[in-house]
Amino acid sequence: MNLRSSWALVKGLWLSWLQYRSFFFILAFGWMIPPLIYMLVWYTAAGDQGLAGFTRGEFAAYYLVLILVNQITFAQTNWTVGDMIRTGQMNQILLRPIHPIMDAVAAEFAGKLVYLIFDVPIVALLALLLQPQMDFQALNGLLFIPALLMAWALRFFWGYWLALLAFWATRADALLTLQDTLMFLLAGQVAPVALLPGALQTAAIVLPFRSMVAFPVEVLTGRLNGTDLLTGFAIQAAWLAAAVILYRLVWTRGLRHYAAIGG
Amino acid sequence: METPIINVEQLSKTYRVPVRAAGLKASLRSFIRPQYDDIAALRDVTFSIQSGEMVGLIGPNGAGKTTTLKLLSGLLHPSHGSVEVAGFIPWERRPAYLRTISMVLGNKSQMLWDIPPADSFRVLGEIYAVPQAEFHQTLDELVDLLDMRELLTKPVRNLSLGERMKCELTASLLYRPRVLFLDEPTLGLDVSVQLRLRRFLADYNRRSGVTVILTSHYMADVTALCPRVLLIHHGRLLFDGELAELARKMAPFKQIRLNLDTEKNNGDLPLPAGVDMVERDSNSLTLRVPRAESAGITARLLQTLPVVDLTVEDPPVESVIDQVYSGGEL
Repeated sequence: MNLRSSWALVKGLWLSWLQYRSFFFILAFGWMIPPLIYMLVWYTAAGDQGLAGFTRGEFAAYYLVLILVNQITFAQTNWTVGDMIRTGQMNQILLRPIHPIMDAVAAEFAGKLVYLIFDVPIVALLALLLQPQMDFQALNGLLFIPALLMAWALRFFWGYWLALLAFWATRADALLTLQDTLMFLLAGQVAPVALLPGALQTAAIVLPFRSMVAFPVEVLTGRLNGTDLLTGFAIQAAWLAAAVILYRLVWTRGLRHYAAIGG
Repeated sequence: METPIINVEQLSKTYRVPVRAAGLKASLRSFIRPQYDDIAALRDVTFSIQSGEMVGLIGPNGAGKTTTLKLLSGLLHPSHGSVEVAGFIPWERRPAYLRTISMVLGNKSQMLWDIPPADSFRVLGEIYAVPQAEFHQTLDELVDLLDMRELLTKPVRNLSLGERMKCELTASLLYRPRVLFLDEPTLGLDVSVQLRLRRFLADYNRRSGVTVILTSHYMADVTALCPRVLLIHHGRLLFDGELAELARKMAPFKQIRLNLDTEKNNGDLPLPAGVDMVERDSNSLTLRVPRAESAGITARLLQTLPVVDLTVEDPPVESVIDQVYSGGEL
């Protein structure tokens, strides 16, 4: 991969975004609101006695970490890839001497840094107000890093292959919307996965969505024992492999189809 | 003779397009069982182009011009036949190939919309890994040739269409490609900008030896820039050669313009046989005569009519082309 070119793409995006910085901060704020609401609901429901193994402070810790993880792993470009295919903008990207996925990766990287400038101070402020509690251990902190990176990669490739269906269908967005709904339910957003009722909890653990957001949060907040950690990583790795394979498959086929019908 | 930089052999491209009758019932049916039509966009096209040539690709809308450029640039797979450009097979889209070619699509932009061109150029320079010194030298040269220094710092979205096309051309030449594909580069531009761009392209081609294939609906672009034209119609290559030759072949006649002395002109005009009246505006006439007989007829006209002024010329390219486009044959 050509590092210099990718870095140039990142810089180009930053330059563009600097023209309308407020828009991005509003977007980042919008992504933060739903988890904030769930947090306040659970925080209030927990009262002084706690709820389902979570104290007030633990809910606060869980959701504050989740806000950051959700932002870092949010696959923003997946929504734009389909549009680029439909509008023919993909032609310009295909004519560049770097792999088209780098365009999306660069946008991810450029975006994440901008959002975090906004998010970190807000989360820090909320942490001062809400007094989160968690049993922080160095090992969890260390494991959090690969869990977070894999969560990002999984969410990115998963959304990317869905978006690439635009090569065939004119409105592949519907699948992305469906995915967002499942994310809301099963990725530990509306409630921590441990609090979901039986069948839903199993579904959450087996399907890829928990691996995309909740898993790294659970790792860092120390809610998983050794076995849970191992299975969690195994499931995450398996889904990531599946997502990458699906992406490769859909990309090659899609491109062949695109080249056959013309952009 | 050196090996051509572009070699196209028996190239065909067939699109599969979904077909569907109007109405809800028909769309439901096509949702369950979609039907397709095969549309032959390009049929059995063969040509080759030498390095440094400027070739005009002409033909009516839907003739297959853009399809040809997309096949050459690697955006499309051929259905049949082969394409080779600068030793590469385009649709493999090797990075080395993509650095060799450049494509300007008149209706699509490669500029970043919100930032000044200078920043876009820098990003493109990095994407194409152009060494710093070379980048500045090339950019300076292009900016001077196109006289666009004052545009460099304005956001692209605030530029006019003509200014934007100057930027597109600069962007496409920053990494000094060897082959340039231009799809309707002057579309929608005013006459003086068109002239300026034409002068630039001719100049740049002379300086750099870049090979250019250009499509345009403005015959003036083609007559000014391209000694050689490829005429495509209904996906077939109908003509490959000089534009003047096309006119001769297409139009085996000449056009004679006459201005008559009004007082002596009594309205009754004895025209020799084989002469067609194309236009008559009181005392000025436009006649069409067979090419071979034009000299004899001119002499006769001078004898029989009160001629004040007379010119013999080739028919305008537009009318020749119109004849091909509407007739579809050569």
